[in-house]
Amino acid sequence: MSDVSRRDFLKAAVLLPLMPSLLGACRRADTRRVVNFYNWSNYIGKDTLAVFRERTGVEVRYDMFADEEEMFAKIRAGARGYDLIVIGDYLIPRFRTLNLIDPVPASRLKNLDNLAARFRRPAYDPEETTVPYLWGTTGIAYNRRKIGKAPTSWWDLWDPKYKDRVSMLDNARDCIAVAMQLLKIPQSTRAPEDFGRVRELLVKQKPLVKQYSSSSYLNSLVAGEIDLAMTWSGDLFQAARENPDLDFCIPKEGTYMWVDCLAVLRGSRHREDTLRLVDYLLEPDVAADIADTVRYATPNEKAFPLIDRTLRRDPRVYPPPKALAQLQLHHVLDPEQSELWNRTWADVKVA
Amino acid sequence: MASHLLLAPAAGWLVVFLLVPAAGLILLSLAKNGAYGEVIWTFGLQNYRRAFDAKYLPVLLRTFAFAGGTTVLCLLLGYPLAYYLSFRAGRWRNAMLIGLMVPFWTSALVAFYSWMIILGKEGLLNAALLRIGFISAPVGILYTPFSVLLGLVYFYLPFMVLPLYGSLEKVPRQYVEAAYDLGADRWTAFRKVTLPLSLPGVIAGCLLTFVPCMGDFLTAELLGGPRFYLLGNLISNQFLMAQDWPFGAALTCLLLTGLVGGLWLYRRWEAEA
Repeated sequence: MSDVSRRDFLKAAVLLPLMPSLLGACRRADTRRVVNFYNWSNYIGKDTLAVFRERTGVEVRYDMFADEEEMFAKIRAGARGYDLIVIGDYLIPRFRTLNLIDPVPASRLKNLDNLAARFRRPAYDPEETTVPYLWGTTGIAYNRRKIGKAPTSWWDLWDPKYKDRVSMLDNARDCIAVAMQLLKIPQSTRAPEDFGRVRELLVKQKPLVKQYSSSSYLNSLVAGEIDLAMTWSGDLFQAARENPDLDFCIPKEGTYMWVDCLAVLRGSRHREDTLRLVDYLLEPDVAADIADTVRYATPNEKAFPLIDRTLRRDPRVYPPPKALAQLQLHHVLDPEQSELWNRTWADVKVA
Repeated sequence: MASHLLLAPAAGWLVVFLLVPAAGLILLSLAKNGAYGEVIWTFGLQNYRRAFDAKYLPVLLRTFAFAGGTTVLCLLLGYPLAYYLSFRAGRWRNAMLIGLMVPFWTSALVAFYSWMIILGKEGLLNAALLRIGFISAPVGILYTPFSVLLGLVYFYLPFMVLPLYGSLEKVPRQYVEAAYDLGADRWTAFRKVTLPLSLPGVIAGCLLTFVPCMGDFLTAELLGGPRFYLLGNLISNQFLMAQDWPFGAALTCLLLTGLVGGLWLYRRWEAEA
């Protein structure tokens, strides 16, 4: 008796690891109509996806990330199963080089021409393999009540009187770009001494910094834990709904703009419906509703007149033409520069 | 033959969950970091050379300090608790053990966010201290060494208490009574009988606290500011931010080697003593 059961047990032990592949072999093609959408938290309209489902019968499974580099690490590690992702302009060369995304066929999108000319064939993606979703700027968030004089310069983030009340975005792109701007170093540099100076400037600021964070600092701002922060425009406007003392400024040295783009992941099993969703997100009223909710700027020219009047006229969200012309996109980094940026940032964090 | 076969599940388990990942980690640590963080499978020791840089020394020392401090605090708090549970709690024992386990059932993330709400400048603790007039303006408790240590002790205390409780339970009560019969007072009986007999639990608890503490990154990430960057943060940053997996793997291998080597030395010392 015991012998038999032991043998059965062994047989089961040998077969069990094989089970998933056996199951996989008889799994039929996935025929349910779903699109798996991987996006930032708080980065879509309230019923954008519900309306899409009503109209097309396609269910959108919405999954969120709070940090782009982490999202990249996850996708690179082989997290398949997502169809559509939102990635920052600076990540597009990485995703393309590593063959993680498929080009979006422009001919399949009826609404692509709704985009403003400025966002067509941009430097970071000249072949238009991705579709611009929203854009914004990096600037300074501050608590009006607690910071007497509104900040005007990036140097205010280095002012010792704000010790322990400052937070900086936790990523190489924004922090190093600002340090380079202050040191008048071009982003195209690859000179080690330039990166040495950048590191020195950021390390000098470290004793003042309470948090390096790209999302949880917003709670700290609302709760009054910190009063001055490097921030992305729309995130602050969303936080200002909870704490009206919060305001945003673009420093006088100027700043960079960035564009978040929709990209179709390679290996997507729901390609048709994914493209349908992209086209839907480009519809003027849909894009306007998203822009109203998330308070980032839309690259969608046709959507612009439909946006809430006060938001549309807010120069902090839609800078006037002269300021807009001065906003630069980030330099497209090659792999070597990208590593220099990442290592410099890692060294700042360790110091 | 049959007896060898019976070992197969255990051996298989070890191969699948220990040897294969460890081999993968070692291979990765010897690989090269390519364009945009792509792993290039040409092998060399460059990542290990990079790891022995003086700039990482403060991180290592800081991690030792936090892990050591956490272990000592957990022991000081945990021993009386385990003692009480084992010797005095009586019919409340099971309820208290369950109470001790409850923090385990919530995700650490949720627990740490709750601590953030309590410790914040406009949090419950500051509000209470202001109300009783102990302080006149909110003080920054969050993002200090104190908040990191608090988070670590909070999270690792059960790792200390459970082994302690286990070994205190095994202390034969007759021995303690015999000590009393021979004229020992309570303190002497504890010092000469209970404490030495519970030492295996003390050692197990200290190891279970210290070792995972050395690799902890979530606590410092959420409750610590930029100046309390630990080894775990350094490693997780290589994987999640710097996109340098081979270097992260090398750091992990060094940490593991250090911990396993430390355990081995301890074992040898114990066997000789």
